[in-house]
Order: sequence, then C-alpha cells, then structure tokens
Amino acid sequence: MSVGFLLIHARPQRAWSAILSWFLFAAGLAAYLWVAQARHRENPEDRVTPTLAQMATGMYNAVMQPAEEDEAAPPAANFYDRLSHSMLWRDTRATSRRFLLSLALLIPAVLLGLHMGLFPYVGVFFLRFVLFFDKIVALSLLPILFIAFGIDELSKIMLIVIGVTPTIILDSFNLTRGVPPEQIVKAFTLGAGDFDVAYRVVLKQVAPRVLNSIRLNLKAVMLFLFAGEMIASTDGLAYRIALLRRHMGMDVIIPYVLWVALLLFLVDFAMRTVNRKLHPWFHEA
Amino acid sequence: MLIHIEDVFVAYGSPPRAVLAGINLEIEEGEFVCVLGQTGCGKSTLLRLILGSEHPMRGRILVDGREHHQPDRTRGYVPQKYSLFPDKTVLDNITFGCEVSEFGLFARLTPAFYRRRKQLRAEAFDYLQRIGLRSCDAKKYPDQLSGGMQQRVAIAQALMTKPRILLMDEAFSALDPGTRRGMQQLVRDLWKATGTTILFVTHNTDEALRLGTRVIVLAKESVDQGSRIAMDLSVPAPCGDEEIPSLVRRLELVSESCAL
Amino acid sequence: MLWRFSTLLLLAASAFAQKPSFTVGWSVYAGWTPYHYMNKSGILRKWADKYGITIKVQRFDYAPSLDAFVARNIDACTMTNMEALDMPAASGVPTTAILIGDYSNGNDALLVRNGLQLKDLPGKKMLLVEKTVSEYLFDRAMTLGGLREQIKRVRMINTSDSDIATAFIGDANASAVVTWKPMVSQIAKQKGVTSLFNSSQIPGEILDLTVVRTDVLSRPDGAGQKFAKALAGAWFETLAQMSTPGAAGDKVLAAIAEGSQDSLASYKEQLGTTKMFYTPKEAAGFGASPELKQKMALVRQFCFDHGLLGANTKSVDDVAIRYPDGSIQGKPDRVRLVYDLGYMQLAAQGKL
Ligand SMILES: Nc1ncnc2c1ncn2[C@@H]1O[C@H](COP(=O)(O)OP(=O)(O)OP(=O)(O)O)[C@@H](O)[C@H]1O
Ligand SMILES: [Mg+2]
Repeated sequence: MSVGFLLIHARPQRAWSAILSWFLFAAGLAAYLWVAQARHRENPEDRVTPTLAQMATGMYNAVMQPAEEDEAAPPAANFYDRLSHSMLWRDTRATSRRFLLSLALLIPAVLLGLHMGLFPYVGVFFLRFVLFFDKIVALSLLPILFIAFGIDELSKIMLIVIGVTPTIILDSFNLTRGVPPEQIVKAFTLGAGDFDVAYRVVLKQVAPRVLNSIRLNLKAVMLFLFAGEMIASTDGLAYRIALLRRHMGMDVIIPYVLWVALLLFLVDFAMRTVNRKLHPWFHEA
Repeated sequence: MLIHIEDVFVAYGSPPRAVLAGINLEIEEGEFVCVLGQTGCGKSTLLRLILGSEHPMRGRILVDGREHHQPDRTRGYVPQKYSLFPDKTVLDNITFGCEVSEFGLFARLTPAFYRRRKQLRAEAFDYLQRIGLRSCDAKKYPDQLSGGMQQRVAIAQALMTKPRILLMDEAFSALDPGTRRGMQQLVRDLWKATGTTILFVTHNTDEALRLGTRVIVLAKESVDQGSRIAMDLSVPAPCGDEEIPSLVRRLELVSESCAL
Repeated sequence: MLWRFSTLLLLAASAFAQKPSFTVGWSVYAGWTPYHYMNKSGILRKWADKYGITIKVQRFDYAPSLDAFVARNIDACTMTNMEALDMPAASGVPTTAILIGDYSNGNDALLVRNGLQLKDLPGKKMLLVEKTVSEYLFDRAMTLGGLREQIKRVRMINTSDSDIATAFIGDANASAVVTWKPMVSQIAKQKGVTSLFNSSQIPGEILDLTVVRTDVLSRPDGAGQKFAKALAGAWFETLAQMSTPGAAGDKVLAAIAEGSQDSLASYKEQLGTTKMFYTPKEAAGFGASPELKQKMALVRQFCFDHGLLGANTKSVDDVAIRYPDGSIQGKPDRVRLVYDLGYMQLAAQGKL
C-alpha cells in the first residue's frame, strides 16, 4: 500500500477494491439525497428531485395500480392479476417485444455482412451503399419513415433497422475479412464448398465476435427504440417517460430509468453467458 | 507428369514488380520436393499458384493435366500459421475434411451422417496415435495445444482427405530443433506410407536436404527481376551425413550470389 | 443545486453590474413570437433601461421552457393557462400571470379523414400529444357532443408535435388528429381531411400567458416589480405596432414571422385564428370578467382528472387559483397560481 499506491503496480486489497468500486454509487446517492432534501425544505411540493419515499410510492403505484388506459382490474384481484394490468408490466412487455424483434432483425444483417465479406460480387454490390447508409442520421429520416411505414410498430422497427443494421453489417463484414485467408484456402483443400466455407468455417469463427459487437450495440438499439416510442406510441417504457415528463413525474421516471438500465444489463449479461457457453474456444482479447 | 508449370510470370503492386518470372517446373507423382530461397523471393506465391488460390499473369499451371481455378481436394495444404480451425476440437478438425466433402449443409441432419462420423472418428484416433498425440488431446481446442502439436494435427487433417499433392509452407519454422527433428521424421514416414507428392517450402537448407528427394532454389538475378529457378538438385537417395555440409554450402552460395 | 448556483452567479454578476438581470423564455407560437421582435427591435431594451434593469430573452422548445421555469433557471416564461397550472403551480413554484396575450380561437383543431363524425371516433386511431391542450380540446369536443362516456374508447397515440403532421399524412389508418397551427394548416390541405372541432368553439379556454415566478415579483429590492412593468410596457408597445393597419404593420408582422422562420402570409393566417388582446384594456377586461373563473374551473378539473397535478395531489383544491377580484378557487392556504391584472391596468392607464 505504501510504495505502489496509485501507481501501475499497485495491488489493491480485496476489501479496498470492494469499497472503492461502490464508492461512486454511494456518493451519487448521497449527493442526490442531499439535493433532494434541500430542495424539499425550500419547496415541499418540489417534483424535480423526488425523495426516496416518493419514488417508492410512485413505483408501487406503477407496479400495483392498473395503467390509466387499461380497464380497471377488479378490486379483489390477486397479486399476479394486478401485476399483469400494471403500468410497469404493460410497458415492459411492449418495449421488450419491440426490442427482441429488432434483435431478431439483426440476424439477416450479420448474414449479409458475412456474404459481403466472402463473395466479391455481393461485396461490390452492397458495400458502397451500406457505407453511405451508415452515415445517415436515422432520426432525421423520421418523416419519410412515417410515410413509408405508417406510425405503427413497423416504422419503429425500421428506425432501429436503419439506425443499427449498417453498423452490424459493416462490423460482421470487417470481422469476416479478418479471417485469415489461409483458413479459407485450407477449407477448400479439404473439400468444402462455398457455403460450407461461409457457414461452417467463417460464420462459426466470427460468431462470438459478432455477438460481442451486437452487445456493444444494445444501447444504440435501445436509444432508437426510445426515440421511436417517444415520438409516436401508445405504450412502452419510453412512452411512459415521455408522458410523465410532461408534468414532471420524476418520482416514476427515475425508477423507470433505473429499471431500463437493469433490463439492459440483464440482456447483456445473458448474451455474454450464452456466448461463453456456445463458444468455449473463444477468449476475449 | 503430375505438376507441370510452364513459363509462369507473376507481378504485384503498381507499378508491377515481378515476383516470379519464367518459372518452368515438372514434378512427378511421388516426389518430395523442397523449395528453398531467401525471404520474399516468391516461395509462398509459387505454392498459392499450385493451390489455385492465385493465378499467374502469364504461362500456365497444369495439375494432373488440367488447369485449376480454385483450391480443391486434390491439393492438401499446411500453412505456416492459422492451419487449424480455432472453433473446432482436434478431433473435429481432423474429421472436418471428410465430413464436409461427403455431406452437404443439410445432409448433416440425417442419421447416415452420424454413422459415418463414428467411422471417421475411429480413423481420426488412428491418425492421432500415428502423429504421437494422446487420445485425451482429441477434445482440446487448437489454442490449448503447443505449436508442434498444432502442426501435427494440421498434417493429420490434411492427410485425412488423402490428397494427391500436399503443399507445406514453412510448416516447421516455429518449432524448436528437437521437435523439428521429430516432425521431419514423421513427415518422411507418412510420405513413404502414403506415397503422396509433397511440395515443402523451407528456409532451412539442412532440413531440405534431409527431407526431399529433390531440392529447388528460387532466387532473383537482379533486384528488379522476378525470381527464377536458380538450381534444381536431385538428392541422392540416402543423403549421407558427410555430404550434407558441402551441399548446404553449395545451395546457400547459389541462393546468395543470385540475390546480389 | 444548479439553479442555486446559477442564481448565485446571477446575483454576483448583478452586484457587479449594479443592474438586476432577468431572463424571459419563449417558444414558437403565433401569440408568443412577438417576443422575438420585441427583443430584436430594441423595444425591450428601451423599457428595461427605463427601469434600470437588464432583460435577457431566450428561445426554447415548449417543454424545455417549462422545465427551465420550474427549475427556476428563468424568471418569466410564456405558457398556456393549463400548463401554468399543471407545471409550475402543481410543482410548488407559485406563479403569477402578468400578461394575458391571447386565446386560441381556432388555432387548435380536431381534424378527421373521410368525413367521420364525433360519434364514429370510438375505436379509431387518433394522433395527439397526450396530456396537453390537445387532449383537453378533444375532451371538451366529446363532452359538448354528449359523448363523454366514449372518450376512453378512442385509441389515442401519443405523437410528438414535431412529427405529428407527417405521421398523420403518412398513415392512412389514423382517422383523427388533434394539434395546433401551423401543423393544422398543413394537415387541412390534404384531400379528404375535414375539421370537426376547433378552439373557436371553446373561446377563452386555451389562454396564452406570460407568467413570472411570484417570488421574483416579491423580491425585497423591488426589481421584480420593475421587471414585470418593463415587460408589460414593452409587450403592449410591440402589440400596438403589430396592429397598425397598412404597410407599417405588415413590416412589423413580417419581422415577427421571421422569428419562427415563417412567412408573412402564414403568420397572418395564424393570427386570424388567434384572438389577440392588442390593447391593455382588452386584456385586463378579459381578466376581470367572470368567464375566466368558469373556464379555469373546467381546465383545473381536467388537469386533476388526468393526474397532471401530480400523483400526490389528493384534491383538485390543493392547487388553488386567486383571481383579480380576490376570490380563490380551492384551498386559501394553497394558492399557487395568481392572475394579477395590475400591470395590464397600469399599461391601460399609461402609467408605466
Ligand atoms: N498480395 C500481394 N500483394 C502485393 N505484393 C505481394 C503479395 N503477396 C506477395 N507479395 C510480394 O511478393 C513477394 C513474394 O512474396 P512471398 O510471400 O511469395 O515470399 P516468400 O518467398 O514466401 O517469403 P518468406 O520466406 O518470407 O515467406 C514479396 O516481395 C511480397 O512483398
Ligand atoms: Mg512465405
């Protein structure tokens, strides 16, 4: 502790690591509470920084009360009934559905990148266009999306597709290009055909890296999804945040934001675990 | 005549710089040809030409009387690096060639495939023993093996599909002298047992003389000219230890004097 | 924390400059764009100098302007009567309306496709910015049409105002849309789109105000009062210029329209459906009329029913309003929104 403290060769003890790694969380929470308390002393009706108790009630209502646009659940309903009619559950379900659908749409993107990297004609056909498309700021295309795809689910999914798929396509294209040519030649000398090479050799090799690249893009997917939901929607987590924002319902917004962060973390964690289980040979650099 | 190379010319870059110029070469079935030459003289290029992954700008290359436009089963390949598929176990790497050439993408779902795979695995275990690996290595992934073991598996993998020609590019250059000696013995034995024609690229003159029945030296006559075959030497059948030093000196002299 | 810091900074700066400084925020809307001209033409500067203060003008998008006001980053702001109630007032920031600029007299409208009627709307898709005057307008339309029970059955889709025009035009499945000008004009140009209801049928219910934080007005050094007076003076001078008939007035209107990148013709069209109170007399007169109380009663009930006053507000009376005659709607100890005609009256008497 004395010699190497704060230097590259420092070896923090376990206890210190634990304390230090949680320190900023604690500091953030304390700062928030302090500000919230100060503001509430000055203005007991302040809505910008709700206290923990207010957030707890806000969240309790979000979890246990039926959503405003839902039919009121019978008063005697049990816990699960009430949960399934609640704001939080409905919003989470709607957003997750869109989220998973967009993730599924990334699979063709990966395959396109793979083919572009392997088959020269596919490459020249798409590459320039995808490179161009990658630079388009998808949000600015919204009016066109609305006209082309309506304002329902499709336009929201398309927003994500336009916003995220070029990155994924280019990423899997580059990863495919990164496979040593020796491997491809070798596969051919062993009697593999073009599609064996594409799917059994190259795709299997780039799969873990592609999964990682999708993991890095999860936030972008969520960002576009939120933008779509905030602009036109009837349900979803971002829809609720947009609505509550209009009258500063921070007591629900803050827990909602934390909930979204937790969900994203869980998705990321699940993908990492799957990646590790599926590709035991792969070691992250 | 198994391989027939006729007045081949290759250049790279712009403006084009000749790498190989006026290469003429005939290789008979069953020969063990070692290719020597200084770095950058085009040895790997020559192998790639025979593989068919690259094409000459002039001249032609016939393998078994035919021009080939892409690599296929008749020519096996053991590159210096990246020879094994990192996502497959040792066993799967060895059986990969047979599986993939006998079963299409969807035929793998049939029971016939699983029956055949059983046989192939038995065969692969045979190879494992011959190249001196233990059966517990079969379940390992390539990056869990040492460099020497990896090259052995790569050779087994290439031999499983029984190619008529085996092309090896500096396959042993990353190995220590002891392992190297063992590997040379292994290749020599396998060559004798299978009768495969082998083209073996190496930097090591001594190794070339010990292994090959024939040694070819590629060298440039001047800086801006492509390499040509500067020497083509038939190695006397049992190359005795006492002849080797003088031959080595002779070969290295050729290789160096041309490079000036 | 930020606002505290910024007020501190402001205080420090003003102590240094010996001149109290105030900021007024506005957003693009026919009745508020005059602020752009007021600032650019030097009218505001003139009035600020007269009272020995500095006034800064800042343009916002509508929602952020409300946030900035609630967070006390700005001292005065333009907003509707409904937002004055559900944003600052309901967030415990006591607010005083010092200027009644206009009321929407057709600016907000409910438009439908294929000649639908109000009674056809249940079950149909409708685009609007929920929890705003748009929803209020729709609520009123259905109530006046005797269809109050059916409101919940209309499928409302919350659509951002910046995209609502293209969203409605692009989606043939959306049967109805509630929005305001200039989007209304764009949408109304489409074939087969008709207007079912507009704000001229509920005159005086959607008011456009300039509000100041009550604690700014009651600053001990009296600078807040000066600020309100300067604003009122500058405002009515601008409006007088605007309403000059002929070319001189058009020139002013064109300069105002520029503030929202609009054309003179389009701006005039919007003014046609906006009942501007051009003179302080008119404005104060409207503020003093008993109508104001009735209309605010409708608005505050709507806000309460839709939870806009906050989840913790148990009764509609918890956010009370005080009127110029001294009467109070709601609990007397919970007055949060005040209509103060004083500044408009001073302007009317020429005493500013
Ligand atoms: N794709 C390419 N593009 C441009 N130049 C190339 C390409 N491939 C090879 N070369 C050039 O051709 C020459 C011969 O390359 P090659 O790899 O055949 O050499 P080598 O004899 O195998 O050398 P080493 O012993 O170092 O492996 C080198 O100068 C190299 O720079
Ligand atoms: Mg080489």
